[in-house]
Amino acid sequence: MTTPSTESPETAPAAENTGAAAVPGPRATAWRRRRASAARFWREYRRHRAGVLGLAALLLFALVALTAPLTVGSDVASVTDAPGRPLQSPSAQFPLGTDQFGRSLLALVIWGSRVSLLVGLLAAVLSVAIGALIGITAGHFRGWYATVMMRVTDWFLVMPTLVLAIALATVMSRSLGTIVLAIGVTTWPTTARLVRAQTLAVESRPYIERARALGGGHWHVMSRHVLPNVMPLVLAQTTLIISSAILAEATLAFLGLGDPTVVSWGGLLQDAREAGAVSSGDWWYLVPPGIAIAVVALAFTLCGRAVEAVLNPRLGVSR
Amino acid sequence: MKRHDQHGRGRNGPHLRRFRLLGAAVAAALLLTAGLATPMTPGTPQAHAAEAHDKDGGGKKVLTVAVAQSVDSLSPFLAVRLLSTSINRLMYEYLTDYDPKDAHAVPSLATKWEPSPDKLTWTYTIRGDSKWSDGQQATAEDAAWTFNKMMTDQGAATANGSFVGNFAQVTAPSPTKLVIRLKKPQATMTALDVPIVPKHIWEKVKDFSKFNNDKTFPIVGNGPFVLTDYKPDSYVRLKANKDFWRGAPKFDELLFRYYKDQDAAVAALRKGEVSFVAGSPSLTPAQAASLKGDRNIHVNDAPGRRFYALATNPGAQAKNGEKFGDGDPSLLDERVRHALFMAVDRKAIVDKVFQGHAVEGQGYIPPRFSSYFWKPSAGQELAYDPVKAGQLLDQAGYRKNADGKRAGKDGKPLNYRVLCHATDPNDKAVGKYLQEWWGRLGIGITLDCLDNVTDPWLAGKYDLAFDGWSVNPDPDFVLSIHTCAARPATPKDTGATDDFICDKTYDELYAQQLAEYDPAKRADIVKRMESRLYDLGYMNVMAYPNAVEAYRTDQIKSITTMPSKAGNIYGQDGYWSWWSAVPADSGDSSGSSVSTGVVVGIAAGVVVLVGLGVLFAMRRRATAEDRE
Repeated sequence: MTTPSTESPETAPAAENTGAAAVPGPRATAWRRRRASAARFWREYRRHRAGVLGLAALLLFALVALTAPLTVGSDVASVTDAPGRPLQSPSAQFPLGTDQFGRSLLALVIWGSRVSLLVGLLAAVLSVAIGALIGITAGHFRGWYATVMMRVTDWFLVMPTLVLAIALATVMSRSLGTIVLAIGVTTWPTTARLVRAQTLAVESRPYIERARALGGGHWHVMSRHVLPNVMPLVLAQTTLIISSAILAEATLAFLGLGDPTVVSWGGLLQDAREAGAVSSGDWWYLVPPGIAIAVVALAFTLCGRAVEAVLNPRLGVSR
Repeated sequence: MKRHDQHGRGRNGPHLRRFRLLGAAVAAALLLTAGLATPMTPGTPQAHAAEAHDKDGGGKKVLTVAVAQSVDSLSPFLAVRLLSTSINRLMYEYLTDYDPKDAHAVPSLATKWEPSPDKLTWTYTIRGDSKWSDGQQATAEDAAWTFNKMMTDQGAATANGSFVGNFAQVTAPSPTKLVIRLKKPQATMTALDVPIVPKHIWEKVKDFSKFNNDKTFPIVGNGPFVLTDYKPDSYVRLKANKDFWRGAPKFDELLFRYYKDQDAAVAALRKGEVSFVAGSPSLTPAQAASLKGDRNIHVNDAPGRRFYALATNPGAQAKNGEKFGDGDPSLLDERVRHALFMAVDRKAIVDKVFQGHAVEGQGYIPPRFSSYFWKPSAGQELAYDPVKAGQLLDQAGYRKNADGKRAGKDGKPLNYRVLCHATDPNDKAVGKYLQEWWGRLGIGITLDCLDNVTDPWLAGKYDLAFDGWSVNPDPDFVLSIHTCAARPATPKDTGATDDFICDKTYDELYAQQLAEYDPAKRADIVKRMESRLYDLGYMNVMAYPNAVEAYRTDQIKSITTMPSKAGNIYGQDGYWSWWSAVPADSGDSSGSSVSTGVVVGIAAGVVVLVGLGVLFAMRRRATAEDRE
């Protein structure tokens, strides 16, 4: 194993057979392998219709979020230059009506997608990064270190996530970073447990022993052998956690723990509640951000399930 | 009422602060869960509503009031919140009351009062027809004991100690005669907002700083209502005092029920579960507009007794001269404070945030108190003028750099922390405007919206803060909180001060007005104080929010507002509203029509359920596919 490989050893021989005739350099071989496995992944993924649907929805939202500065511009969040009167019902000028400041709700929902998606992604990445780090090290080092880390994990696992996140968001200053941290720090234990289990399975394989015998240190084993093997799991887990992170962000913003000057979907719901839109029947203030949250969370879940099914074919059978 | 304005802003008692923080967070979480499941469910159990409702039909007339504030203490010596002090008004008599029409002093427990020629001795005649609810006669001895207790026991002086600070001696030479001797003349002697408690009950109390008066029911009192039951954060139940000397209340029972969520309270009002929704916090413009369309609901939109201001940290300092806190040094420059206020478009705040349910801010005391209302002259006024504000900042040496930001003396860009109440939507809304207005001036702000603003506030750790107080018919209290003497003794202590302001000119005027017994002359001095406060630029009044409240006309036939022309109902300086409320004849008060809000709530619920359904269907199908 002299070439760095991101593929698992079991599938490596198959890829080598196809590339043997041209005798390319090791780097090119690796890249070809990656391309081939990506293509195979996509072939498999396409078979899951729900996954494709979710992916399409995600691409659409990503497109909307990324092009928001061009389509609606950052001025939509301005209260002093609001174009409409407060709480106008949907009309030709404002397809989804206006909010309490007279801003167009359609534009706000589009602009809010940026924050909601960004926080969701960052929080999920943070959560999975913590989980993977703890899971791999605990699975690799065992002994008292693993015991301590796993007890910490268990402690976080039994803590009610929302309450912990609220407590964190309350004591720290109100900003997006705080929300990302609050979600990331509270949702990692499941990932840690999953990754540790996979790490234990991988480390029991003979080639790890071979690598050790050839002088591979802790860092080499963890980064070159274990990590590539738990990567698929981590990827699937990330996709799944994003949806819960987006929901958590919306929840925290709804509870008024977000930065009040930033427009996000949860924040819009909170504004709507505070403006009394619920009891006065101004549905256009509540429904669009609510549906947007639900659709994005659903889309990420669908994608996550599909990725999980592709990367781990046994999952379907065992379920 | 005094210490605490209608939004529960200002100071909470030092105890319970941290618990409330955590409690609020947990409660919020629970509320969210409940709110998501059924958006219209009120926070309190349905059983109470039904019970009250049944009684309503069963001959007993119950007036149910939805309130958003919880009770801090039922002890008149400790209670400072609007709800608690209002309830104390119902339970106990004061020496004098304020007339509901124009707030002049009228007889209450005292029928007559008279100062001596040297202005230092006041003689009150106590009425002989007021009985405690346990049958004993209320006498001058009770009043003397109450005042003496406050003068001698630090714990009993917690809430109303400021009234007796200048008392030399209080005696009761006969059951109907109370004599108060003063150290210095005091203009507030007919506005002593001190509930008189029964001596024979209260002399058994050991520690006044801990006793909350909520152990044995009914609580002995002589007001128009007798408190019969109380459950923290749930309800307060009072029954009418049929022997009340001014006449028995028309309702048999008064029930204050706690709704944390204003939307839930409005829904309960629509359904007839409550008769009245307190305007504290005020109903939002959207709620008021939608309730106005309801046939059986009257929306009372009254000029408020509150001011809504932006306080500036003057560099917090204790009475011992020790400085503390970390207010931005640039704010010590009067030009900067004036520039900031000149960039605030008060008209836009009234039009956009309050949507007309407020009056543009001018002087410190709201126009409702016409004798003390003051407004700046044309030359003095800090009118909305962003260009001039920019010039003022330039003069003060805070010039815009290449990025359009103004830098402080330390070279860093100016960025002020603005303390805001997370519980008050108006703070957040106005904060958004401030961010844009001041952003154009080249000054950044950070909105610190907290559930508990008390801790950073008392520690002086803020640059600017949203501030507001309810003003009493007698302005002494709201004026006293800006005197040097109100500051804490040391940085560790808690003072009565609002914003750590200490100004010699203002203090001199304050002492003058307190000693002035001539109303017109006193009003004149008060106006000069307001003028001084305006020029200092530490308290910038942005608006006087209206009290927007609503009640069911099929449950309440009539109710007294205070002042009677365009006045508020909840949180009056007196018991007039609840004492005078007349029940409507029709017992049937159930709102049969389902409100649009409920429909929307259900629709939103259905959308979520369908979404979940789709998700599960997909998962099920995915599993099925995998099985194949």
